[in-house]
Amino acid sequence: MKYNWNWGIFFEISPDGVHTYLGSLMFGMVWTLATALSAWIIALAVGSVIGVLRTAPNPWLARFANGYVELFRNIPLLVQMFLWYFVLPEVVPSSIGTWLKQLPNASFYTTVFCLGLYTAARVAEQLRAGILSLRSGQRMAGLAMGLTLPQTYRYVLLPMAYRIILPPLTSEFLNIIKNSAVALTIGLMELTAAARSMQEFSFQVFEAFTGATIIYIVINIIVVNGMRILEKRLSVPGYISLGKPAAAH
Amino acid sequence: MIEIDNVSKWYLDFQVLKGCSTNVAKGEVVIVCGPSGSGKSTLIKCVNGLEPFQKGNITVDGISVGDVKTNLPKLRARVGMVFQHFELFPHMSVLQNLTIGQIKVLGRDEEESRVRAFKLLDRVGLHEFADKFPGNLSGGQQQRVAIARALAMDPIAMLFDEPTSALDPEMINEVLDVMVALAKDGMTMMVVTHEMGFARSVANRVIFMDRGEIVEDAKKDDFFGKPRSERAQLFLSKILHH
Ligand SMILES: Nc1ncnc2c1ncn2[C@@H]1O[C@H](COP(=O)(O)OP(=O)(O)OP(=O)(O)O)[C@@H](O)[C@H]1O
Ligand SMILES: [Mg+2]
Repeated sequence: MKYNWNWGIFFEISPDGVHTYLGSLMFGMVWTLATALSAWIIALAVGSVIGVLRTAPNPWLARFANGYVELFRNIPLLVQMFLWYFVLPEVVPSSIGTWLKQLPNASFYTTVFCLGLYTAARVAEQLRAGILSLRSGQRMAGLAMGLTLPQTYRYVLLPMAYRIILPPLTSEFLNIIKNSAVALTIGLMELTAAARSMQEFSFQVFEAFTGATIIYIVINIIVVNGMRILEKRLSVPGYISLGKPAAAH
Repeated sequence: MIEIDNVSKWYLDFQVLKGCSTNVAKGEVVIVCGPSGSGKSTLIKCVNGLEPFQKGNITVDGISVGDVKTNLPKLRARVGMVFQHFELFPHMSVLQNLTIGQIKVLGRDEEESRVRAFKLLDRVGLHEFADKFPGNLSGGQQQRVAIARALAMDPIAMLFDEPTSALDPEMINEVLDVMVALAKDGMTMMVVTHEMGFARSVANRVIFMDRGEIVEDAKKDDFFGKPRSERAQLFLSKILHH
């Protein structure tokens, strides 16, 4: 096989006639980041609520939350994407279905929603583990001083639980960036889709995917370092491993 | 102040408390002792509703703990509790540990709660530790902060669950000293402990529990004197020979 390397391709004008190929990859990156960040907000918000409910005393709420996690974790992400994008508009009343199909940027909203709810299940699982890793006396101490249960979560349990799960949350955030590539199957022009389209028009497959890979890696490095700084800033003086206070004598 | 009337509690079909009755009058110090697993922690946690119970009745200052209509957070705010493992909030400074309840539960403002906090830190000898974090304190210091945290709520009674048993021996006395001073100040106290020296010096009564039952509930002098149940004798001879 004879392959013509051409790294200059990035600076050639892409088929849209306006931007360079590099420019279209950058657009792809922006869509990827927009998708990942928006989905992350949903994942954190929904995941926190579900995670808290799983550790709450009300058995019905806990059961509901457990069901949520089982459902969203056990269906492959790609299947969920298709369900939201292709199946949902057909099963809801037709007026809503039509509205959904005609929504501008429908593939973006679908991806954000789908990825957010999927990752929420994983965040919930982490948060539950984080809360359960705290000694039960912490909850009791909060309640014993007269805090209500929600206040005890807000001021006592969650601040420590989030600190403890910061490393796995970082992985989940990196996952959400990677998983956003699934959106190309429903036509979102995110980074992977942009690389694929560049390869289709220019036939420079290696350059296109090398470009995309480098962008993914750079994003990764930024995220990992950002989280490391956050971890350091939130670190608790004298508090060492999980759930155990440091023994200082 | 605290009235415990025929309280029984089950974990599924395991009965932890069997018809326990006793009371703690205002200003009284009552010691609860007994072998491991006898239900001491469970009983004391029933008093402020941290553990639910299925039978009987507990009232604190006339308010029924088991009544569904009782505002439990409000009741708990008036009863201080000190735990075996301190349970300070590790992400808050010592000062914040003392002010959070005052601000969020009692509705005091920042300044007022700081003043109260520093007064109590003075009292337990830890004024200069206000900006430290619990993880940087010794066990004895942490427990003194925990006592100050409970006192910051101006409780009408204090519950202690083995406050010195997680401490290294050389730190036990600094905590007991604070508790003795508190008792002499007239605080109503219910204390689960095996520190019989402490019991001898400040207790009014001693309760001995075994297998979920209150086997003995006696004035201090009677308890440490001659007549008492065989089980209590056996228990006492064991812990006093340590
Ligand atoms: N959540 C629970 N579920 C089932 N059994 C429990 C639970 N909590 C405590 N128990 C049991 O109840 C009994 C009394 O426990 P409790 O902690 O009140 O004893 P204790 O007298 O405080 O003992 P220790 O001196 O070891 O602290 C024990 O047999 C214990 O195993
Ligand atoms: Mg106990």
